[in-house]
Amino acid sequence: MLLEVRNLVKEFGGVVANAGISLEVEEGKIMGLIGPNGAGKTTLFNCIAGYYRPTRGKVFFEGEEITGWPAHRVAKIGIARTFQGMKALPNLTVEENVMVGAFCQTRDRQIARRRAHGIMELLSIREEANALPTELPIAVQKRIELGRALATNPKLLMLDEIAAGLNPIETKEIIQTLKRIKEEKGLTLFLTEHIMEFIMTISEVITVMAAGRKIAEGPPEMVAKEEKVIEAYLGERYAKGPSD
Amino acid sequence: MRQLLIDIFSFEDRPRFERIGFLIFIIIVLLFPWIVKSAYGRAVMIKFLLFALFGLGWNLIGGYGGQVDLGQAKNVGFGAYATGLMMLWWGVPFWITVPIGMVIAAAESFGVAYPMFRLKGHYFAIATLCVALVWKELFVFWDWTGGARGVEIPIRPTPNFTYMQFGSPVHYHYFIFFLFLIQLLFMNWFRKSKLGYECQAVRDNEDVAASIGINVYRTKVIAYTITGGLGAMGGSFMTVYYLYIDPDFVMPLDLSILIAMTVMVGGAGSMWGPIIGAALLIPLDMYLGAWLGAQKRLGIDFMIYAAIMMVIAAREPKGVWGIIERMRRKRIG
Repeated sequence: MLLEVRNLVKEFGGVVANAGISLEVEEGKIMGLIGPNGAGKTTLFNCIAGYYRPTRGKVFFEGEEITGWPAHRVAKIGIARTFQGMKALPNLTVEENVMVGAFCQTRDRQIARRRAHGIMELLSIREEANALPTELPIAVQKRIELGRALATNPKLLMLDEIAAGLNPIETKEIIQTLKRIKEEKGLTLFLTEHIMEFIMTISEVITVMAAGRKIAEGPPEMVAKEEKVIEAYLGERYAKGPSD
Repeated sequence: MRQLLIDIFSFEDRPRFERIGFLIFIIIVLLFPWIVKSAYGRAVMIKFLLFALFGLGWNLIGGYGGQVDLGQAKNVGFGAYATGLMMLWWGVPFWITVPIGMVIAAAESFGVAYPMFRLKGHYFAIATLCVALVWKELFVFWDWTGGARGVEIPIRPTPNFTYMQFGSPVHYHYFIFFLFLIQLLFMNWFRKSKLGYECQAVRDNEDVAASIGINVYRTKVIAYTITGGLGAMGGSFMTVYYLYIDPDFVMPLDLSILIAMTVMVGGAGSMWGPIIGAALLIPLDMYLGAWLGAQKRLGIDFMIYAAIMMVIAAREPKGVWGIIERMRRKRIG
């Protein structure tokens, strides 16, 4: 198991954002995490990546316990992440944005730059190398973020709503890109998303969360039929079928 | 090793107009003592170079690191007093006192950075300001530092390179230019280094910085420590240039703020911003002050000064360099 979360609880004061989540991400797979707003998806991401310290429970990466590690240490051992919303570094050029990620594994600027160029090629943002992120469309900014995360040379890539704000064509493009880099780099992907179409197309395994709990897990087509899942998304009425 | 030298001396990655501008600047500074013969003009130039040097160092934490430090004067003071006291007590040569002053300032900065970077934004700025004020009061209070009377450097009868005392301002001009170039080349290395990029990532977004393996806290502490050391170098120069130092002269709040202001006006976080800022503010300050003072209109120069800074701060937060950059990007399209 590449990533293993055991009974993870995160409380903010009296609010329980994650109430005992357990899940496993298998190496080389694409795992999707879905759930309605406020289900605790981002909280779980933050607990794994070292942004929150879990109240209880454990996180393992490649068999090593990483519970409560600071974010920069988590990044160094091979877990990269992107954030919700636009988080490209605004005062650095596209090339520098990717390069700064590459510095995670090397001190040498030439090596960092070469790696950045390779990744920009892969994500087809090479031509925008000297532009500032704010001058570019959202779809390209998402690629910059993806590039920065990839440049750290991760084993596990956690993407928090990477397709938010993209139109259907751009969404299709990012799905293709993600599948391609996954194959080329031998990555494992762990992603959250609101857009059902996106997550159902790309994921091999899906975990469904609602109100801080895991309510279902399995292949996309199975999860979609699960009564609890429909209930969580559409309300009780629809789970039992329309009554009138 | 070869790569290190290239990183220090090469401006190849900068656009052509910047390199040409820099070359013209170097030539003007080199020829300056032959063009301008007036003592006041030369003094203005020396002060400009001194503040450009201060700005370069402050730019590391304030510009690249994005942490508003309003206490750089304490480091200037450490450098000035290290040089002054060691010369006075034991006759230590200038060039030995400089690294010692820098190490003292860096060590102090490292020590206070530890608790201070628990704070963020405005609270950090206030903390830096307080620490600097405490040091100034201590230097006034203590006897061994000469207290409020300060330190007077014994004047050597003949110009000499051991104590860096010269009869003519021309020597001091090249002397400060040399120190300025050292810091400029250091910053040229820094902006391309891993540390330089880490600082910028921390400035732009701390969460993102952590997500790519940057220890945010450690990066800030290192940047603040280096900035401390760089500030001390200018302080050492002040001691041998003015031959007299006291806490009100080398470590006041005004100095901290002026250093921060020159960089912000010129363009924080850019290579040339500190130089442009000092080139605007220092001559303005000295000529305007002298001219209005002669007409018995004291204080008006401060108003004009403040007005200029407000306009720049309101119109372009990235300073004069930000305006130049924007124009250039527009032209390229």
